[in-house]
Amino acid sequence: MRPPFALVMRIVAAACLAGSGYLHADLYLNGYRFIPTIGPAFLLQASGAFAVAVLLLISSSPVLRILAVGLACGALGGFLLSRTVGLFGFTERGFQPAPQSALSLGFEFAVLGLLAVPLVRDGFRMIVGRRVAAAG
Amino acid sequence: MTDANPEGMTRRQLMRHTAWFGAAVVLTVAGGEVISHVADTPDIAVDDPNALRFVQVSDSHLGFTGSANTMVERSFADAITQVNALPYRPDFVMHTGDLTHLSTAAQFDQVKQMMSGLNTGHVLTVPGEHDGVDDHGAKYRQFFGVGTAGGGWYSWNLKGVHFIALVNTLSLEKLGHLGADQLEFVRKDVAGLSSDTPIVVFSHIPLFAMYPKWGWATDDAVQALSYLRRFASVTCLNGHVHQLFTKTEGNVTFFSATTTAYPLPHPGDGPAPTPVTLPAGRLQSALGIREVGYVGGGQRLAIKDRRLA
Repeated sequence: MRPPFALVMRIVAAACLAGSGYLHADLYLNGYRFIPTIGPAFLLQASGAFAVAVLLLISSSPVLRILAVGLACGALGGFLLSRTVGLFGFTERGFQPAPQSALSLGFEFAVLGLLAVPLVRDGFRMIVGRRVAAAG
Repeated sequence: MTDANPEGMTRRQLMRHTAWFGAAVVLTVAGGEVISHVADTPDIAVDDPNALRFVQVSDSHLGFTGSANTMVERSFADAITQVNALPYRPDFVMHTGDLTHLSTAAQFDQVKQMMSGLNTGHVLTVPGEHDGVDDHGAKYRQFFGVGTAGGGWYSWNLKGVHFIALVNTLSLEKLGHLGADQLEFVRKDVAGLSSDTPIVVFSHIPLFAMYPKWGWATDDAVQALSYLRRFASVTCLNGHVHQLFTKTEGNVTFFSATTTAYPLPHPGDGPAPTPVTLPAGRLQSALGIREVGYVGGGQRLAIKDRRLA
């Protein structure tokens, strides 16, 4: 990927991650902090997302990209569980609370699209490159 | 000796990755501290004459004799002492139900006498299902029903806030139930209010689906809440579940209060919501009172849950 384009993608991904963090922080401040286990999980997601978003603006380290993808996957997994079998006894319906849940989903899918796909591709290229070098 | 690893990363790369991971951890902890600090609700000035301040207590269960709390009367007395020790005199104290455990006349008499010791402008109540065990709330209304309509519901205005006290426990099957008469009361009650009036609704059983399997929901609450959708801020305060819990649905925020008697399990922990006996010394931390404040012009209420001192 061309460097300027990769930089733009990384900045957009950082913005989306920060957006997801903001929504989780907002929900945490507006009451979710009282929910056992879910409250601390929202706090961790929010502070982790802000932290990784800031660092992504500085570096494209694979560690940061993996952390960003992990945070997005964690939030999406929590959303899915809370709408199906429940998460630590916590359940919610559909896209409540609105509009936070829908916006958060959008941000997290964007992070996955912008970071997970290139991450997998880079990893695949690295493995192939090593095999070629070893064979040559 | 070389720091290069032909099968993986170099030592320098490993150190760089570790540094970024460490930076992420440090920033996450710092961010968590900042957000937690913001979450601490600011105190409403004690001497602000325009501020509305009230206290919610819930589920005192006077008459309960189980191992989860062998001295519920003493715990409730502690809660009253804690309310009276606040640095301000609350405009009112609301007890959100299950004042008694078996709704005997002696238990109602005792709880009424104890609450008469509260240093507040008004003592208000809504009934829990334990307050209408064998008479659909008849004895409850004898003791606490003055000035209420129908099964004991009522509303009032104070310092720019409209309050509604609902009864969803006296004709319940499994879930809480309001009934047609009470729904009509709510509809008419708010019809003349402007949409920027903050609304506070009290009930015993949650008006949201906290855990319907255990009866922690009200089957016709959606209808009641539909009359409140146009308001900018609606706050629903309930008891019944003996634990703090919060949920936001659009313009409505629900706050479940803890108890002054004994804890119940978290939703889904175990087959039924039976009293939980905590290890010695840990009961007080599960009990508490709730302070609520509001300054005119704002939309949100400031809510502080306090452990029983």
